[in-house]
Amino acid sequence: MSHSPQTIDQYLAALRDAFGTADRALQQDALSDAEEYLRGELALAPGQDEATVLARIVESYGAPEEVAAAYRQTEATVQRALEPRRAPSPTGDGAGSGEPRPAGGMFAVLKDPHAYGAVFYMLLSLVTGIFYFTWTITGATLSFGLLILIIGIPFLLLFLASVRVLALVEGRVVEGLLGVRMPRRPAYEPALPFVERIRAMLVDGRTWTAILYMLLLMPLGIVYSVVAVIGVFFPLALMLAPFAALFGDIFISEGVRVSFGPWYSSDGASADLLALVLMPVIGAALLVGFMHLARGIGRLHGALAKALLVRL
Amino acid sequence: MTDLDPISRKFQKELNAGTTALVLLALLARKGEALYGYEIAKQLAQVDPELALGKQGALYPVLRSLADDGLLESWVEPSVAGPPRRYYRITPAGRRALGDWAHLWRRTRRLVEDIVEEGTSEGRTP
Repeated sequence: MSHSPQTIDQYLAALRDAFGTADRALQQDALSDAEEYLRGELALAPGQDEATVLARIVESYGAPEEVAAAYRQTEATVQRALEPRRAPSPTGDGAGSGEPRPAGGMFAVLKDPHAYGAVFYMLLSLVTGIFYFTWTITGATLSFGLLILIIGIPFLLLFLASVRVLALVEGRVVEGLLGVRMPRRPAYEPALPFVERIRAMLVDGRTWTAILYMLLLMPLGIVYSVVAVIGVFFPLALMLAPFAALFGDIFISEGVRVSFGPWYSSDGASADLLALVLMPVIGAALLVGFMHLARGIGRLHGALAKALLVRL
Repeated sequence: MTDLDPISRKFQKELNAGTTALVLLALLARKGEALYGYEIAKQLAQVDPELALGKQGALYPVLRSLADDGLLESWVEPSVAGPPRRYYRITPAGRRALGDWAHLWRRTRRLVEDIVEEGTSEGRTP
């Protein structure tokens, strides 16, 4: 180590450097853990010089480099343990069941929990998107509208703080459903005087990118949910069409009848066999295709959420 | 304990890899209640003042991976002074795992003790 940190902020900066290009979310976890320990240790030694306390902390907690190494090692072990579950390898699949490899690779998406998570997320994002949008617009207009009165300032701060909490919640949802690693702890807040903390919140770019994300999620959520509903129900309708055809036309009243397609003649005599066979096949193919699309959208959206919600 | 050569330090690190998880699980099982990271580290420092388990910074990632495996439950609570704290509490699955791990540990300990005892006493006597 070149020089030992003299203050908590220096220690945390050194810890951040020690991670280098490692995952930002992992880095944020480590920083908030260290922050908790360092502040706890400092609180137990009132009146003592911060540099002296830090020298002791490096002895007990470990130097930034050691701590970063411990996190990287644990994360690597967990990643290895999760890998086979997360992405079943097409080679292992094909060899095991004797299936042709491309087909195994093609249908592997059906065994991927994150593909289903992504479909669910696409449906859910309509609800969360509308909620975030309403919350953000209401909070922003009320805060800025009231700014001419003195009560607008606490309102604005409360609103910004609430956006940061929502960002953390959204991060947990994204990690759970899309499998993109997000921070599990709130970003560390240095124990600064009240006014300084407010300033830090205002100059923190993540506060503003989180607001952007909250607003973006509504249009995205509408598109996602429409795509998801069509993507699930259109293939399902095709797959179930032959069963519907069994029932023939549904007679509602004189001159009004619901017909299940041109392959079934209205006099109930003959069905077009080719159409009856083809429809479920096309439906199944479309469904698998949609699962791939959903997984892709999930990955893209995870990257977007990470860029806008994770601060470092 | 502090000034080991690199090879022995590496050995110590490898030795600690699994035992830290076992010790943390046992500590949280004994307490029963939820503790936050710093409290856990301090509790451990009381019984392990020489840091035989390594630096305390290495405890946090182990806690996190135990929580990922469902052996601990964890949540964040704001604190009056300082940053929010992440609390950890053992789950029923954690208690079951602790039972299994304790059994494995005793078996390993007996074996290691027997062999190390023989090895070191033979080395001393000739």
